[in-house]
Amino acid sequence: MSDHLVFLALGLGNGAVYAALGLALVMTFRSSGVVNFATGAIALYVAYTYGFLRKGELLSPIPGTPTTIDLGGPWGFLPALALSLLIAAALGALLYGLVFRPVRSAPPVAKAVVSIGVMLVVQALLALRVGTTPVSVKPILPTGALEVGGTRIPQDRLWFAVLIVALTVVLVLLFRHTRFGLATRAAAESEKGALVTGLSPDRIALGNWALSTAVAGLGGILIAPIVPLVPVSYSLFVIPALAAALVGNFTAMGVTVAAGFAIGMLQSEMTHLQATVSWFPGSGMAELVPLALILGFLVVRGKPLPTRGSIVRSSLGKAPRPRNILVPTLIGIAVATVALLVTSGSYRGAVIVSLVLAVIGLSQVVVTGFAGQISLAQLPLAGVGAFTLSRLTVDLGIPFPIAPLLAALAAMVIGVVVGLPALRIRGLPVTVVTLALAVFLEFVWFRNTDLNGGMQGARVEPPSLFGLDLSIGAGADYPRLAFGFLCLVTLVVVAVAIARLRTGRLGAAMLAVRADERAAAASGINVARTKLLAFAIGAFVAGLGGALMAYQQTIVTAESYSTMGGIAMFAMIYIAGVTLVSGGVLSGVLGAGGLMFVLLDRLLGFADFYAIIGGVLLTLTVIGYPEGIAGSTAERLQRLRARLPKKTRAAVPAPAGTAEEPARPDTDAELTTLLAHDVPEGTVVLTAEGVSVTHGAITALADVSLEVRVGEIVGLIGPNGAGKTTCIDALSGFADATGTVTLGDHRIDGLVPHRRSRLGLSRTFQDMSLYEDLSVRENVEVGTFTAGRGDRADAHDLDTLFRILDLHDRADEPVGELSQGRKQLVSVARALAGRPRVVLLDEPAAGLDSTESRWLGEKLRAVRDAGVTIVLVDHDMDLVLDLCDRIVVLDLGRIIATGRPDEIRTDPAVIAAYLGAAREKTEASL
Amino acid sequence: MTATLTCTGLSAGYRRGHACVRDVSFALEPGRVMALLGPNGAGKTTLLLTLAGLLSPLGGRIDLDGAPIRTGNARLASRAGIVLVPDDRSLFTGLTVTENLRLARRKGGPTVAEVIDYFPRLGERRSIPAGMLSGGEQQMLALGRAFMQAPKVLLVDELSMGLAPVVVESLLPIVRSFADDRGTAVVLVEQHVHLALATADVATVLRHGEVTTTGPAAELAADPERLEQAYLGSAAGAGTAVF
Repeated sequence: MSDHLVFLALGLGNGAVYAALGLALVMTFRSSGVVNFATGAIALYVAYTYGFLRKGELLSPIPGTPTTIDLGGPWGFLPALALSLLIAAALGALLYGLVFRPVRSAPPVAKAVVSIGVMLVVQALLALRVGTTPVSVKPILPTGALEVGGTRIPQDRLWFAVLIVALTVVLVLLFRHTRFGLATRAAAESEKGALVTGLSPDRIALGNWALSTAVAGLGGILIAPIVPLVPVSYSLFVIPALAAALVGNFTAMGVTVAAGFAIGMLQSEMTHLQATVSWFPGSGMAELVPLALILGFLVVRGKPLPTRGSIVRSSLGKAPRPRNILVPTLIGIAVATVALLVTSGSYRGAVIVSLVLAVIGLSQVVVTGFAGQISLAQLPLAGVGAFTLSRLTVDLGIPFPIAPLLAALAAMVIGVVVGLPALRIRGLPVTVVTLALAVFLEFVWFRNTDLNGGMQGARVEPPSLFGLDLSIGAGADYPRLAFGFLCLVTLVVVAVAIARLRTGRLGAAMLAVRADERAAAASGINVARTKLLAFAIGAFVAGLGGALMAYQQTIVTAESYSTMGGIAMFAMIYIAGVTLVSGGVLSGVLGAGGLMFVLLDRLLGFADFYAIIGGVLLTLTVIGYPEGIAGSTAERLQRLRARLPKKTRAAVPAPAGTAEEPARPDTDAELTTLLAHDVPEGTVVLTAEGVSVTHGAITALADVSLEVRVGEIVGLIGPNGAGKTTCIDALSGFADATGTVTLGDHRIDGLVPHRRSRLGLSRTFQDMSLYEDLSVRENVEVGTFTAGRGDRADAHDLDTLFRILDLHDRADEPVGELSQGRKQLVSVARALAGRPRVVLLDEPAAGLDSTESRWLGEKLRAVRDAGVTIVLVDHDMDLVLDLCDRIVVLDLGRIIATGRPDEIRTDPAVIAAYLGAAREKTEASL
Repeated sequence: MTATLTCTGLSAGYRRGHACVRDVSFALEPGRVMALLGPNGAGKTTLLLTLAGLLSPLGGRIDLDGAPIRTGNARLASRAGIVLVPDDRSLFTGLTVTENLRLARRKGGPTVAEVIDYFPRLGERRSIPAGMLSGGEQQMLALGRAFMQAPKVLLVDELSMGLAPVVVESLLPIVRSFADDRGTAVVLVEQHVHLALATADVATVLRHGEVTTTGPAAELAADPERLEQAYLGSAAGAGTAVF
């Protein structure tokens, strides 16, 4: 018992650092929406600064200047502390001003990637400047032990914990009672609100960043005497800190700090148990604590990070569809073959490394570029493949090519485990899980001498096929062409497969999930399954790459698959262009140990700077070139292609009655066959009974009951705030509603949106939620996910649909380039592609002028004539009164009138709802 | 008397080349209330956002007290005296009523107590978090927060959204009396047309981004057909509606 107590108390030291870093994370997130992965690295830098100041030297981070500047004698504790914290605050302000302010309207994921870039830079810079020999710092807090009930507990940990708790109390009071604190909380909730109150979210963020880095710095300084200063360890402290912040939902400081302490203590206890309990793995159990905590917490609570009510403008990089797979593949094969043949020795080795890194890069393209999940675990997953390969070939004697495939499968299993929390959460928490997993794998397996083949590393049997030696060779024979071609063949197969993935249904589903999970669910896509598949495929490919890397290095060591290495690789892939196959391939050329790296190192001797440049480039890429190098090049080519002469486009055609429209009866017949369901007119197809939606104290929808018959166009109108979109949300499953909703014979209330889609209820969204990267055809095809296999609209049916809606000559253009009116039509077409029985249209005429609006009305009439029942919300009265058979009027969440258009137009209750008080009043006064 | 707020040829929108509001000009004297009316999608909110600096104008200019102001900067606009009450109110739901008001305090502006005098109901709910207030109380708080900033120009977007007419009828006169007390020029975007016209001095109707009618509020109030036409379209059938 006393043993446990000692270890738990020891854990307070690390726990205090995690708590401090957790506080810093909460502050930067709340004020600027950045999950700052660089927090640990910043703490490290400040700790180093303090350490050097105590020796009388000022650390200079700028390359080219002397490492330290002599300040005369050593500094005392308080002056050193004061200056270090000042430098920390200045660093925070600088980071915000230079790096994070320019990306303030970027999505949180992009901001996190920027912070990853900063982490790499700070870390690599420190390693460059001070080397990797540990720097020891004199004790700050009283050392010596405290007697507690017969056990001796080190005092400094306890003091550290007390200090951090005191700091937390001060900060909580600060944020609750000072103007600065109030303003911070206010701006975190609503950026628009802050702006209209005359607050400056910018200045608030600046203040918070300075404070945050000072707090992180303080944590780093106080732990420095206890944990020796070594670059990598402090940076990775951010992982338990992230876990603590997640528990506190990135808002609650007290909870975060408590969680930080708990993690520290548990880790310490785990380390103790590792040594005493026989069946515990020899290492890695401490790293399991944050991973298990994050996984458990997220799966159980399953909420995404709080949205900050901030104004987000830009989007992630586009993922253009490959126009042609054959030609680039042939060119690539030719170039690589030439490269292999003309080089020799270490240059050929570099080419081979590039090929292998490209395979791993492609795994990132699938998980991040297509499915939008930022995974930092691809290199560690490759490590799983590599270490498994070692076991399979050496211990079990499994031959090539079965062994690498099995190794890849093993990686896939682990990859799916990472993907499981993605079922419940989206966005950054998934990234945190991948990072925690990377560290866990590194310590429980790769660095575990029981499992990793001991100090010499894990050996791998050289590959051979039918007697042909495919290994990389050794000595004068190194590297052998046969192996080079093995890598090339693997890369080509993987690249082509992933390009085909992009152009297929699964790829479209992934991109849809990446763009907007809500809309994807409404289109009938099983978002969870799609994400899991992305992780599985990505992990398999990474495992394959890892196996190749194992063959290439012939010895598998932990260093090649480390967490930090994985983060650096992620940066490289992002810079190369994570949304394109060509980007994945390019990342191999750029990666550490690859061709470009070796060339630049030979010519300029700058291997040390590689990580720094990588970090800087990553930041710049996110800010300016989200598609990376490959994407920007692709875009430039696309623009050049667009300059070529093209047939001129027709403007929106004039409504029927002019010469332009082709014979309509034909197309009507086709549309009828396309969309009709065999149900007699007049049957009730959709009902709602007593449907209500409340948000807190506010009733958005109260007791709404309505019936929609087959073949009707029903208009749903009402003043702003009446609850029209809420009604559509309730019917389609996007709002928590009470009451009954029936579609045909099925009760659908309580079903998730994609299930309702599959049963035949389709909808559009006010903001359209189209996938700008995808073409018109691809966007509409996403809608076919709702129909079952036999029922699915095939290419011919879609062509018919395009012709009727006048989209046929634009079917393969990216949606981002269409006019507003055409975009609305694409949105409608997507909702129709699954052959729904009822389609709910939310403001389809938004942004259209009167001509386009009438044109849309005609198209919708044709759709109805073909057998699809339509419920339409819109503000364009001319459209609604002209088009609809029946109109339902909402006001303040209740139905106030239903009837034919002419009845509604003159209904006094309706007029009063729109124009406000009494028409009666004016009449009475006359 | 110099107009407090002058718009000259103002065009506004969310993307370059796509103006939702075209060539709007008007002048508003201190203490005058203008009702900005029109059907949804007409551009009323876009216009207010542009005046408040949350959007950059696509053309034209805005003058405050006769001098042009720098556009596209919401904080600057607010500090200069153009204060917006957004249609979603944008309250700080986790902060109490008092805290919401305190944050908006300005030098030379009213105190929290003075603003609560305009809204006695809020006085009873001082320590309640804004998220827990009823719809009407939230609107009062949003207005109060704007009052705290001693605005020269008060822009109110859809005060009546989601509120019962009785509540709206009690709030509009408060806006009027604030305008009278402080000489603030007010632009009221309002769907409840008759209530707005009863409070306003002058009315402007926006349709498809352009001003179609402008004149004294009393005139438009006496001509209901003109307004119904603007909101509900002509009774004779949409096909012949004049755009």
